[in-house]
Formats: sequence, structure tokens, C-alpha cells
Amino acid sequence: MMKKIIISLAAIMMCVASFGQAKKPTLMVVPSDNWCKQNGFTMKFDNQGTIEELPDYKKALQGSSDLMLVTAKISELMANRGFPCKLLEQEMKKLASESAEDAMLTSKQGGGVSESPIDKLAKTAKADIIIQVTWAVNTQGPKKSVTFILQGIDAYTGKQVASASGTGAPSFSAELPKLLEEAVLNYIDNYNVQLQNHFDDMFKNGREIIIRIKKFDTWADDFETEVDGKEISAHIEEWMQKNTVSGRFNTSDATANMMLFEQVRIPMYDANGKALDARSFCKGLQTFFKNPPFNVTSKLMTKGLGQATIVVGDK
Amino acid sequence: MKNRILTVTLGLAFLLTGVVSTFGQARKKAMRDMEDYRYELECVGVGAQGTYLIKVWTYSKKPKVAIAQAKKNAIHGVIFKGFPGGGQGCTSQQPFATPADEDKNIDFFEKFFADGGDYMRYVAESSDGSIGAEDRLKVGKEYKIGIVVSVQKDLLRKDLEKAGIIRALDSGF
Repeated sequence: MMKKIIISLAAIMMCVASFGQAKKPTLMVVPSDNWCKQNGFTMKFDNQGTIEELPDYKKALQGSSDLMLVTAKISELMANRGFPCKLLEQEMKKLASESAEDAMLTSKQGGGVSESPIDKLAKTAKADIIIQVTWAVNTQGPKKSVTFILQGIDAYTGKQVASASGTGAPSFSAELPKLLEEAVLNYIDNYNVQLQNHFDDMFKNGREIIIRIKKFDTWADDFETEVDGKEISAHIEEWMQKNTVSGRFNTSDATANMMLFEQVRIPMYDANGKALDARSFCKGLQTFFKNPPFNVTSKLMTKGLGQATIVVGDK
Repeated sequence: MKNRILTVTLGLAFLLTGVVSTFGQARKKAMRDMEDYRYELECVGVGAQGTYLIKVWTYSKKPKVAIAQAKKNAIHGVIFKGFPGGGQGCTSQQPFATPADEDKNIDFFEKFFADGGDYMRYVAESSDGSIGAEDRLKVGKEYKIGIVVSVQKDLLRKDLEKAGIIRALDSGF
């Protein structure tokens, strides 16, 4: 009996603890496109007749020890501040092994793992905040210096949430790895001050997300259809007004077939104190569509903590 | 004879009291200067991991007091003032806390900055204690003394976070 009580109490405590904390964004250090191009770590592919050059992260990670050093140093310093980073190299290895496992996996009846084209597209190395690094070595006679740029980019809104940059002191003798290490040590604190400001803003004004609402062509109605004397789009905007922090959101696009909401500020916690992200927030919108007067099912897809797409009319 | 000894002893005692009192007043003045942010911090290089390497310029009529006060000023500056960048590849660094945080936690900081207080754990003189002529300036009636110190900023930040003075980067998550 006593054992049962202790287990129940422990379970309650764990629930309370998890409810009290907001969802923590994940961070990953990635070299910028500019750095990859400058150092020849790119791959070319033919995009319907247009040759495009994209960063080749695998080649960069295998070919540049300096990149490994910078990534490791930033990850170490961020872990000291309570934010262990996802490692790009490990994420890519994980994806490759997951794909291999999925390809080999069969059920006893011979069925394979189902994967839609959307699932395939979603299989990329991702994090909520990308720490993008760029550096260039400047030489002036025998002297060398490093220009270093550190940018924190919100993966969903595309906004720069933190940055630090500058050029270090020229040196006659220091080797490049030493200059790079100094640069990271020199800029990381200012970068983290801005990141802290971003988090403070998030706790005060809500997490910023993007919501896309689309319709399946099998749905007879569209967002201009009138229900209870108002277009469905107006009902959706009303719901957004009610459920966002201080009614903060922008209707960036609105047509009969789609709506795009940007700068949507969602609360960090729901009424029960449970942490919210784009997915849990949009579950509410899904319920809104499911209930009268709309009575329509919808499909919810999310990208990380900050981007959600609802397709109305089917699952 | 007895009278002479008594007079000399009393004279010496008065003299000693005067010296101690002047020194004590100078130290009090140095503390007031710190509270009024009357000191300057200058970055002298990118320190080893987890540290800042800075030069603290402290004002006092007595160089000894300035030297003793330098470490306190360095920690006070890192917490509440920050410092500008400049040469040696330094970038400007922002303070850990605001003056409002100081007012809110006045008891904590009074104890923290007391003589021999906890601030001593985070600062070390990076030279052998000797001060070069270029770092000992006479400005009006007082001295402006520059001392290079190394501040354990990561440890200092962590302990301030633990004490609830400043928020950790991951607080709330």
C-alpha cells in the first residue's frame, strides 16, 4: 500500500515538474552557405534545367578540421550554459542509418515501413535554432587575423535572434586553430546575451510560430464560404485573436484556398500549465474545425516547435 | 622620566590611530567609489576559456588602497558595468546584471563585496604585484592605478545564477 502511494506521489511530482517547464528549443551549429562556397564544400545539381549550388555538409565535416574545432568549441560552451547542441555530423549519420533501417524493415507478413513523400522531405537534420558560423582568414604580410560571424537563426520564422561578429587581433605567430578558438571565446558571451533577450521576449510575449492553413480539393467548401453570416476565414481569425498572446498575429496571405499566419505569438503554457508548441497549439484549431458549425476533419503537420500546417477537409 | 615615557606612548598611540583612521577612511572612500562606478575597466586580451583578462583603473589618494580595491572593482565591473572592446582583439562585453538587480539584492552584495568576501574567489592578479610606471598615474590629488586581473567569469556567472541574482540562459525550459 505504502509502495503504491510513493509511486503515485512520484508520478504526480514528475507531471508537475514537466508541466512547469516550457519546451526547450534545440540548437545546432552549421557552417554558412557562404563559408561552404568559399571553401569549396558545395555540390551542384540540376534543378529542372537550372544548375544550383548547395552546401555539402558531409564533405565540409569530413574535409575541414577547423570546422570541427569551431563546432566542438561552440557546442561545449553552449552545453555549459544549459543548451547542449545537436551535432550536425551525428544528425546526418542518424538520418542515414534510419533510412537504411527503414529500407530493411519488414513485418512478418512482408509489409514495409510506410513513408509518404512529405515524410521523406521532413527527413533533414533540423534544430529549432541554427547557430550559423562563418569565418574568413585575413592576411596582411606576415600577419593573420580572423573575421568571425556567429548568427542564431530561428529555423521557422527565419529571423536572426542573436548574432556576434568582428575581427580578432592580427598575429604574427598564432596558428589558425588558435585564432578560431579565441574568436569563439571572444564572441560567445555577447551572442548568449542576445539569445537570452530572445528567450526573455519569448516568455513575455509568447513563442513566435508560423501557421499555414490549406484545404484538400475534396472539401466542398473553401475559406470564403459563409457560415453563420461570416466567412470561414473570419472565424479562423477570430479564433486566432482569442488564443494568441494579446491577439498578436499577422494574416500574411488569405485566399479562398489558403491562409498564412506569421508572427503568431502563442503562450508558452496552456490553461493547465502544460507546455505549448506549434503542434499542441494547432490541435486546438483542429478541434475548432471538428466542432459545429464546421464539422470538418483536418490534417495537422508540424516542423519542430515553431511551424504547423493544417489541411482542412480530410485526414 | 615616567612622564616622558607616558607622553611618547600617548603621542605614538594618537599618531597610529590617525594613520589607521586615514587609511580606513580611504578604504571607505574606495568602496563608495565602487558603488558609484568610479573605476574603469579595459580589456587587455582574450583570456583563457572561462575567464576575462582585464585591466582595472582604480582611483585613490593612497596607491595601497587602490591596489587592494582593484579586485573588488573588477568583479563589480564585470557584474554591473561590462567593458568596452578595443585593441588585442577584444570585443565589448555586457554586464551580467543591472543596477536594479544590485538594489534588489543589496544584502547579498554587501556580504559579497565585504573585505575578504566571496568576490575573492573569482579574481586573481595576473602580474607579480608590481605596478609599472605607465599604470601609476597622478591625477590631481589622487592616484589612478591600473592593475591587470583575471576574472573567472563562467564560475562567477554560475554562482550568481545559483544564488538567484541573475537568470540562467536555460531558466524556464
